Amino acid sequence: MSEAVRIVEKKRIPSEAIMLQGLPDVGLVGLIATSYIISELNLDEIAYVDSDLLPPIVVLHKGLPHAPLRIYGNKDLIAAISEIAVPVKALHRIMRKLVDWAESKNVKMILSMGGLPVQNRQDIKEPKVFAAGSSDDSLKLLREKGLEILNEGFIVGPQALTMRYCVERKLTAVALLAQSFFNYPDPEASAVAIKKFAQITGKKVDVADLLEKGEEIRLRARDIMRRTQSELSQMKKSQEYDLPLYV
Amino acid sequence: MYEERRKRSAFEIMREYMELLDAWADELLESPGRPSWDIQSCCLEPLCDISITADEVVVTADLPYAQPETIEVEAVGHDLIEISAKIKRKVGFGDLGITHREGEFSSFRSRARIPVPVETDRMKIRFKRGILEVHLPRKKGHRIRIE
Repeated sequence: MSEAVRIVEKKRIPSEAIMLQGLPDVGLVGLIATSYIISELNLDEIAYVDSDLLPPIVVLHKGLPHAPLRIYGNKDLIAAISEIAVPVKALHRIMRKLVDWAESKNVKMILSMGGLPVQNRQDIKEPKVFAAGSSDDSLKLLREKGLEILNEGFIVGPQALTMRYCVERKLTAVALLAQSFFNYPDPEASAVAIKKFAQITGKKVDVADLLEKGEEIRLRARDIMRRTQSELSQMKKSQEYDLPLYV
Repeated sequence: MYEERRKRSAFEIMREYMELLDAWADELLESPGRPSWDIQSCCLEPLCDISITADEVVVTADLPYAQPETIEVEAVGHDLIEISAKIKRKVGFGDLGITHREGEFSSFRSRARIPVPVETDRMKIRFKRGILEVHLPRKKGHRIRIE
């Protein structure tokens, strides 16, 4: 039987890089942020994800076909994004494969940006960013970098799986969660998440252009947000509002 | 045939029903199969959301590029509201990088069905950070005192 999820490498993959994951999720925060970093840092397409679990889709850019779930990179950064909402039924196997693959490439850290849904988002001018880490060492690093730790709560979706699989493999995973809209694309939340990414990695990314294009991005992202909403409800994403019980 | 049916255990039958229910649920949760735009009316359908609290129903819509002074919210009957707004500048498929379709959009329009009884005449609206909020107070029932 063929593998359910396969990563097809197109170019040389850097070793000991930092890996970003930006799959469609709450407010599309991670997807917008990661796509912007790919564009600002001129990362090349180096691999893509092939799987029978994904819908039969090809994305055309400048007339050429691309897989919707692609991996970009340069010498010390790898970034995975998806232009389609990843079906819940495929999510576990895809995230596991991405973590396995990252481990095989000696990735130093998997960093994912995402949204932390808040009901009064309209009233928040500069969203706060909270961080979660897969180990005591990663929490120490996050504190040293001045990040506020998400101490108690649920994380649901791609970031949750990355965190779980990274703990299994003793890989460092960091999740940056910016206060965001649940159902609406939130480029402002992506911008604050990018600032924290820069704080952790030392990479410079100017977010002025992202903020300027905010309305345009919101307009263009309506369709993928609609598709993502459907997957979010299936993965019980609203559980992130729940209070955990741990006595 | 009858023999075959008799051989299936209750658990198997239950599992089959569960699979069927799962398939129906998947179908219901599937995103709408229509586009989020309408060339005939030059309208884009905005992203909308509905939340229900003990006192009110809040309908929100994401309206990037909307001209605030053109936003209209109309109650269409007792359980339906229509939201519309003009866009600051016309948006064509070309602006979105699409060259194989033709058409321009000049406004947003969508309808939201309200799932519980509300007082549409006491509706309040707010527009902030490009998000429209429509607050609809829920109808109050009769108070029953404990005897």
